[in-house]
Amino acid sequence: MNDQSNVKIRLNNSELWGGLIGLALGGFVIWSGLKLKLGTINDPGSGFVLFYTGILMCLFATSIIIAAMTEGGPTFGSRWVNTRWTKPLLVIVCLVAFSFALNPLGFLLSAIPLMLLLLRVVDPVRWSLAIPIALLVPLGMWWILKRLLLIQLPSGIFEIG
Amino acid sequence: MDTLVNVAHGLGVALQPVNLIYCFIGVFIGTLVGVLPGIGPISAMSLLLPITLSGTPESGIIMMAGIYYGSMYGGSTTSILVNIPGEAASVVTCIDGHQMAKQGRAGPALGISAFGSFFAGTFALIALMLVAPKLASVAIAFGPAEYFSLMVLGLVVLTFLTQGSMAKALLMACIGVVLGVVGLDSITAQPRLTFGRIELIDGIGLVPVVMGLFGVAEVLLNTEQVIKRDVINTKITHLLPSREDWKASAGPMSRGTVLGFFLGTLPGGGAVISSFASYALEKRLSKTPERFGHGAIEGVAGPEAANNAAAGGAFIPLMTLGIPPNVVMALLLGAFVIHGLQPGPLMITQNPGLFWGIVASMYIGNLMLLVLNLPMIGMWVQLLKLPYNILFPLIILFTIIGVYCSSNNVFDVYVMIAFGVIGYFMRKLGYEPAPLVLAFVLGPMLENNLRKSLILSQGDLMTFVQRPISAICLAFAFVLLVAPLLPALRKKRELVALDEEV
Repeated sequence: MNDQSNVKIRLNNSELWGGLIGLALGGFVIWSGLKLKLGTINDPGSGFVLFYTGILMCLFATSIIIAAMTEGGPTFGSRWVNTRWTKPLLVIVCLVAFSFALNPLGFLLSAIPLMLLLLRVVDPVRWSLAIPIALLVPLGMWWILKRLLLIQLPSGIFEIG
Repeated sequence: MDTLVNVAHGLGVALQPVNLIYCFIGVFIGTLVGVLPGIGPISAMSLLLPITLSGTPESGIIMMAGIYYGSMYGGSTTSILVNIPGEAASVVTCIDGHQMAKQGRAGPALGISAFGSFFAGTFALIALMLVAPKLASVAIAFGPAEYFSLMVLGLVVLTFLTQGSMAKALLMACIGVVLGVVGLDSITAQPRLTFGRIELIDGIGLVPVVMGLFGVAEVLLNTEQVIKRDVINTKITHLLPSREDWKASAGPMSRGTVLGFFLGTLPGGGAVISSFASYALEKRLSKTPERFGHGAIEGVAGPEAANNAAAGGAFIPLMTLGIPPNVVMALLLGAFVIHGLQPGPLMITQNPGLFWGIVASMYIGNLMLLVLNLPMIGMWVQLLKLPYNILFPLIILFTIIGVYCSSNNVFDVYVMIAFGVIGYFMRKLGYEPAPLVLAFVLGPMLENNLRKSLILSQGDLMTFVQRPISAICLAFAFVLLVAPLLPALRKKRELVALDEEV
């Protein structure tokens, strides 16, 4: 028996799930193309390119799935082995929180805490350095944009900035 | 004679004080991002794309071009002194450059790298001046079928050269096309994939997509590991290479220049593949290949010349055909489009000041880079000591501000963050973002040219194979698509595949 025949289909195979997501996206693109009308070959409609691109996506995704099932592939966990996976997660959480705060609080009130968090959560910068950077950089950028380039950043409900 | 008149015209544009300032800003930032590991020219160019709006098209494009070829110079400094490539095209320079530095020959390594880059950059510019107008006059005869096939070829070449599974790269390219056609259909004005959001009527912006996929995703990946920098601390002397160094480097530099320029002009090619190809060529040609990897100056001179020549060569398909051969050029195309300009065969005749001004500015920029990279090397060495935990929050803040300024719309900041997170997971699962971005830019053009060809030929698909240029492009694309199925060719592809993760 060769090694290939010993490959078992594992549900935590990241290649398999990548292919499945691609397949689902391809299906959605085909459906969107059909909804937009394909037109004819003489006069292609708005959905023409989407439809055929969707078919190609399904083909490529299927080939990824077949490769994952026949050759196996790394598990999700193995992709993050020996990495500090919590650090990017923290940065993502900070960015999502920032995106929710940007409109209601405005640029300054959301960017200063974001900077402070980023400076402290990944590889903590000492407070005596983190606080001035977190305050001065957003303030400096805000001043350059507002006063020199005349670009209005969001000022939020408190109209600060 | 015409060329000389045009160059004089270009110098008139490039030497205007405002354009000189933009050129200097471009090459300075280029060197800066080249020196700093973790930020590449793509992130920097996408970050500064909105700033191009504040000046004339010439100024904006001059600055963007400066960032690109400037980063090629700067990347080698980090490779030689720290053994971390400042940007992807300098990966090969680490091998022998850092060994030279460890042997106390950092000065000659940096010197030959800067002179090689200058020599290659200058050659590429002269070739660009001579080739571009000729190619543009041929390209005027191109119809939609030729453009469609050329774009298909460009996308296939890029997916072929992308590291990892080709099916994944092709899937990414398809997603890029889909994202590119979001918004109103340019022919029927029907909204597509807008989900009722008014912000998506004009399509998804290039700036948030690129900044998310390259800027934010890169930061997320870098935070996963502790970035340690072992900077060579000895004083850097003898920046002017010795007679022996020149003798050993002249051949590799010349060969690297020609090879790099040729590879740079190909769709999907670029600086990274050129530097790898040059290194492999020099090792093969060398009478003492065993010295490679242990501080051979040829291993620095060839690849450094090649990546700079490729950076110049890449302007040819963009300027003459309007087709970006790689992601960096796609961003430059974005800068043209922001200013309502369409690079292509007609640009050289209709807007000669712009074309020749950009070309002349690149020559001036190369001179500026020589000064920035040799006498001021100490400044860049100091900069290498800036800790990443201070740098990355600044990068994130600048990307947010850059995206917001490009459209004055908070929605684009959300798009950037979303693409940042998607880009991070894509990279973790082995999906490269470069084919997606190139297809995103080419998608609308690809669709328009396909539909126009079909309308003009009354639905006859043979139009794509009856026209010789179109047929050649499609045949070549087909060969590349089936190549990975053949084991021998698959091995070759793995050897030349780009390492986008650097």
